[in-house]
Amino acid sequence: MNAWFDYTVNGFVIGNIYALLAVGLALIYGVANLVNFAHGSVYVVGAYVGWAAITYLGTPLPLTILCVVIVSALVGVGIERIGLRPLHGSSRIAPLLATIGITLVLDQIVQLIFSPDPRAVPMQVPEWRIPLGGGTIGALDLLIAGIGLVSAVVLYGFLRFTKLGWAVRATAQDSDAALQMGVDINKVNMAVFAIASALGGLSGLLVGMYYNQISPAMSFEATLKGIVALIIGGLGNVPGAIAGSLILGLTESYGIALFGTSYRNLFAFVVLIAMLVWRPNGLFAGRRSLPPEPMTGTFITRSRPLKVPRWAVVAIIVVAALLPLTGHPYLLQIGANSLLYAMLALSLTLVAGTVGQISLGHAALLAIGGYASGLLALDGGWPVALAMPAAGLITAALGTALVFPAFRLTGHYVSIATLGIGEIVSLVILNWTGLTHGAIGLGGIPPLEIFGYDFGSVESTYWLSLVVLVLLALLQVRLLNSHLGRSWRAIRDDSVAARSYGVVGDRYKALAFGYGGFAAGISGAITAHIYSYINHETFSASISILALTMVILGGLGNVLGAVLGATLLIALPEAFRDLAEYRILIYGVVLLLLIRFRPQGLLGTV
Amino acid sequence: MSATEAALLRLDRINSFYGPVQVHFDLSMEVRAGQIVCLLGGNASGKSTTMKTILGLQRPRSGQVWFDGAEITGLPTPAIIRRGIGSVPEARRLFGAMTVRENLLMGAYTRSDRAAIAQDEERVLALFPRLRERLKQKAGTMSGGEQQMLAMARALMGRPKLIVMDEPTMGLSPLFVDRVLALIETINREGVTIFMVEQNASLALGIAHYGYVLQTGQIALDGPAAALLRDPRIRDAYLGGTTAA
Repeated sequence: MNAWFDYTVNGFVIGNIYALLAVGLALIYGVANLVNFAHGSVYVVGAYVGWAAITYLGTPLPLTILCVVIVSALVGVGIERIGLRPLHGSSRIAPLLATIGITLVLDQIVQLIFSPDPRAVPMQVPEWRIPLGGGTIGALDLLIAGIGLVSAVVLYGFLRFTKLGWAVRATAQDSDAALQMGVDINKVNMAVFAIASALGGLSGLLVGMYYNQISPAMSFEATLKGIVALIIGGLGNVPGAIAGSLILGLTESYGIALFGTSYRNLFAFVVLIAMLVWRPNGLFAGRRSLPPEPMTGTFITRSRPLKVPRWAVVAIIVVAALLPLTGHPYLLQIGANSLLYAMLALSLTLVAGTVGQISLGHAALLAIGGYASGLLALDGGWPVALAMPAAGLITAALGTALVFPAFRLTGHYVSIATLGIGEIVSLVILNWTGLTHGAIGLGGIPPLEIFGYDFGSVESTYWLSLVVLVLLALLQVRLLNSHLGRSWRAIRDDSVAARSYGVVGDRYKALAFGYGGFAAGISGAITAHIYSYINHETFSASISILALTMVILGGLGNVLGAVLGATLLIALPEAFRDLAEYRILIYGVVLLLLIRFRPQGLLGTV
Repeated sequence: MSATEAALLRLDRINSFYGPVQVHFDLSMEVRAGQIVCLLGGNASGKSTTMKTILGLQRPRSGQVWFDGAEITGLPTPAIIRRGIGSVPEARRLFGAMTVRENLLMGAYTRSDRAAIAQDEERVLALFPRLRERLKQKAGTMSGGEQQMLAMARALMGRPKLIVMDEPTMGLSPLFVDRVLALIETINREGVTIFMVEQNASLALGIAHYGYVLQTGQIALDGPAAALLRDPRIRDAYLGGTTAA
């Protein structure tokens, strides 16, 4: 009984923290139709600014809060200026990708300044606790509740009674009409980013105090939790975001009480997927189906793909095949790594580029492939030569089945759903100890060996990967030039028109995810046998983002582009090893520059 | 030239493109102060693009837009609105989840003279008494005709010199069409110049002083409304199918 009271209080407190995040996301989605993936970075910035203010300046609590609010708001304004404003009129997905680039950059900067190690935030609130209703409430709980409440009231007053607040609401409802009333949309966006980021930064500070620990790594999770709360309440619905956050906080708190801490996030993401499948408009909307995406602009930037003559492709393959003759093991290792990433990129360029489903959870396919092959060989005693193709098929089937509920979603919702599904896969691997060995990971995976021939050497690993990649790429080119390829592109460009011509979207999406799952699964399987040890974090979400950057770099939908993107992003950072610390920063900047200046990628979209 | 004779709005040799497709070919026209001027034309004749060009929502590749003695080509939309143009967009485009009153106040967004805004609110509500009953109601819950009135009232709240209207009678019942037209005339008599784009030629010419006929991006015909109504070319091309005389 006592414990339940405490769990409820805890749920409300966490819910309040999520609400500060989710309200900002809702405001931003409202005016800009954008899910801001950089929101978690602002939260981290807020936490660190608070920590630095207390540690170095010795600020008292109100001043700490003021510092956090101001700096976070400025960061928000910067995000709007870089990630949103210059992209006006570009493809629908461009601002979302830009915020991903910004989050990579911001997180890395925080990490470079403050080191990746966790820090303890000095407690600025008295430590007393009032016994109440069988449990206790502490001063910090009250502070967080108070800040949540005050923020909500101030925000309500702003939206309801100020001119800028009306402009925000008007823009959210119809930005074109607001423009014709004389509303400066850029100013509105800037104000909204500032407010949202101030609240997000505040949330980071409070979380730091509550858990007494902050680290740059909390960014991603904060973004995810904010998005889950946002989806529960309905995209763009501000009061809904608050309610959704409290529901999420309580669900997590009770879930932990019943099942244990490692299940916390699993609850959040299962709730997310359930909402997307059954109530994509949120708990509080009357409509069951999604509103149509705004039809302005194309989904991906159209371009004429660069024609690469057949002999050049053959020449590239020949040169690649002869690379081991140079006898540089280090070079070959990078080469093999590039080839394995290229398989993942092939898979993603099909799903994201050709079919237009921007997947943010693609690394999960690697994990499924790696675990499937590893477990078949290790616990099932299968020969590696059979385990790997089987893993490809398992990944194809499982990957498609997992994404299947999300097939009716479009645009932003697909990205959110795949992100959630990716996290679920990793959490299931962590928690399903009986099958996956849980947190210990999978050790002693047999090395690459095909019918008695040992592929363990760098050269043979490289050659095997090259052969597999070339086969997959040729198959993919065949598919793209067939009737199937045309249907895929039709679904991407206009799903309604495609449907009215009898192209059943779900079936074709399933084929794409199936083929994509196979390619990625094989890549994961080979990787697992090379590494000999994998765990639930080996194929993390950052790999999904990296793969997306590769695909955009090469040109969405472009097969050769995917290979080129993978090679460049794996090989180039190796060439500048001294910059290893800045690798993620470089990826982020590359992504941002591409979206801004060459959205069609190096070789062009197909 | 007297004040009422001067062109309040002037389009000078506009060439617009939508992607690779040219929409306007050297389009020139003017709207004189104090008048109701209508722009007629069928589908895809470039009517909506003309509207967008005036409001700064689309930039012409060449040519100039002049308003109230100054060039406004290429200005951002809010700046154009601040110079004294009110807009009644196609399909009304109200802020459906905001109240009627909030919609009216959004119309006065570019102004900061609170007392004068309150006065204008009274004036507008006197003109549209139906809206007074519904001040606290969400705009999206009203009937189409009431919404059209709110859209006009909202445009008036900016105290514009010129109101541009995109198909103000579209989708209204015949009863409301007459009332909307009568209100347009009333607004005009109070000194506001009106530029309206219409597909329904006979209705528009019935209240307008001057008319332009747009055909594939060029002015095919223009003249005083009364003359156009009698013009056999208009009767054949635009009034043939209509029952109105």
